[in-house]
Amino acid sequence: MIPAKYNLRNLRVRWMTTLLTVVSTGLVVWASVLCFGLTDGLQYALKVTGHELDLIVLRKGATDEIGSGIEQKVAREIASLPGIAKNEQGQPQCSVEFVTILTKPRRNSGGTVNLIVRGLESIGRTLRPGFRIVQGRDIEPGKFEAMTSRSMAARFENLAIGEKIEVNRQYFEIVGYYEAAGSAAESEVWTDLRDLTIARKTPAAVSAVCLRAESPEQRDALTTVLAKDKRFQLNAIRETKYFEDQMNQANAVQYIGYIIAGFLIFGAMFAAANTMYAAVASRAREIGTLRALGFPQGSILLSFLFESVVLCSLGGLIGCLGTLPFNGLSTGTANQFSEITFSFRFGPRVLAQGVMLALVMGLLGGLLPAIRAVRLNIITALRER
Amino acid sequence: MSNSNAGETVVVVREVCKEFRRDQLTIPVLSGINLQLSEGDYLALMGPSGSGKTTLLNLIAGLDRPTAGDVIVCGQNLGQSSEGELAKWRSRHVGFIFQMYNLIPVLTAYENVELPLTLTSLSRRQRDDHVKAALEVVGLQDRMDHYPRQLSGGQEQRVAIARAIVTDPTLLVADEPTGDLDAKSAGEILELLHRLNTEFRKTIVMVTHDPNAAARARRILHLEKGLLVSEVVSSRAKESVQ
Ligand SMILES: Nc1ncnc2c1ncn2[C@@H]1O[C@H](COP(=O)(O)OP(=O)(O)O)[C@@H](O)[C@H]1O
Ligand SMILES: [Mg+2]
Repeated sequence: MIPAKYNLRNLRVRWMTTLLTVVSTGLVVWASVLCFGLTDGLQYALKVTGHELDLIVLRKGATDEIGSGIEQKVAREIASLPGIAKNEQGQPQCSVEFVTILTKPRRNSGGTVNLIVRGLESIGRTLRPGFRIVQGRDIEPGKFEAMTSRSMAARFENLAIGEKIEVNRQYFEIVGYYEAAGSAAESEVWTDLRDLTIARKTPAAVSAVCLRAESPEQRDALTTVLAKDKRFQLNAIRETKYFEDQMNQANAVQYIGYIIAGFLIFGAMFAAANTMYAAVASRAREIGTLRALGFPQGSILLSFLFESVVLCSLGGLIGCLGTLPFNGLSTGTANQFSEITFSFRFGPRVLAQGVMLALVMGLLGGLLPAIRAVRLNIITALRER
Repeated sequence: MSNSNAGETVVVVREVCKEFRRDQLTIPVLSGINLQLSEGDYLALMGPSGSGKTTLLNLIAGLDRPTAGDVIVCGQNLGQSSEGELAKWRSRHVGFIFQMYNLIPVLTAYENVELPLTLTSLSRRQRDDHVKAALEVVGLQDRMDHYPRQLSGGQEQRVAIARAIVTDPTLLVADEPTGDLDAKSAGEILELLHRLNTEFRKTIVMVTHDPNAAARARRILHLEKGLLVSEVVSSRAKESVQ
């Protein structure tokens, strides 16, 4: 085996080209890892939001909560259907909710955005994963109070504790921040159901009912019951499916991202291949000498592949390190009506993808140059320069 | 014709032809070469440029295979060996000395000499002993941490000789080893080769243009137009006979 220091020192000697190649592969890995981290964050937000046993009940024909309207009296009856899970106090986990959209400015005059304001009762909190108040306090019904997540408060005007948000000339004071395990609830503003319907002057109507079934079988049974009931005119959608559909637009953006990343990866691979071809050409006599000394063709191949992999891995390492400042940073992506706020997630899986990418670029980019090195005729190589 | 206390036969070249093919053209370089060397022989190959000296040397060193005829060196029929077998065989039996030294620029003198030993199963300690011993033979122990660019041409060639002998091969091949050196350095290299031949009983084949260099060998062969035209017993060999 040709010692590794042979390759490492050659990379150092031609540090200019090494640096350029490392920077180009590094940029590509950086961009790709950011993309992976974004996708992972988004998928995570969707995954924690959509509970397997949860159903969202909408008016028949509606595809989302905004376009749905249910008579409050009908919505209340759903809670008495069999198969709905109960909380510790024995109440059915069935939450009647009213959702409205407000156009509100971003902070730092970044234009306006559609904001989801949700009115719900205390049972609704148990349907959100990991719900807890992290600052301030929970709202009190009847007092026109509201709460939201920390990242929403940072991103939009009038959402910080002590500030007031206006709905139909009714002001709601922000009294607390909550967390909900990074789920979609963290992209919303919550208030009391009754207070919100009063402000909206639609006391008889709500938007949707969220409920949790006792088991997958009960969930499917409830779906059938609700769909068949002519009186109710309702449609129950699995929450997991509902959020997936909501994110279709974001998925399209994500695919475009993947395609661009694909081209970039291809480009960086060419950069690596080019660098390695130059290395092989300029070291022909060295290769001939190594062969003459008795190093077999296999070790020449491995040696140059190793050099290429080291080159790209250096880029990969720098690319991965470069994403660290973005870790946990939250951002938003538009779904159909509003924004969903989520965080970059660079877990071991995402970083492993970045490292894998670098390795693959090194191996594929280095393969043809390494094969050329192996196929050099010893005698011609020894005659070089 | 070979020296009196001849040992085992090391090199047998029998009816060897070598042609190179370039496009449709066949270039005959060697035609019907016969040659035999015993252990401890020291042969100088002379002849005009392009006469096929390097080609013959490459065949003897197992870098290339003959078009026809047999090359049997250290018991191995090189014409019938695969690329892999030749590589292994070279690492065991041949030490190479090149005109341009061919040291690896990014490795120190020590590391260059150690390189062929990485193909053996020797331990780190054993390798260290061998490398230091080889560097001592060429008188460069104090330069072992220098890189080739920090050495003079003559010193580089001495490191290359240390690299050639570190595995203790039977045969040393040298293609114009003094071709790129000043007279003083060339003299030192020739002195070293002489010592390796007499003291360490290395069989040496050296290609050279320089009659002074050739005079240090035991035998001189002239190549002309692909044929061995004359065999001259060098003055040194004559001396040793008397
Ligand atoms: N790999 C090769 N392909 C084609 N022709 C070659 C090759 N190697 C050597 N030759 C030709 O063979 C002849 C002898 O070359 P060489 O053995 O290097 O001569 P010398 O070492 O005596 O100067 C030259 O004409 C050279 O051009
Ligand atoms: Mg020559």
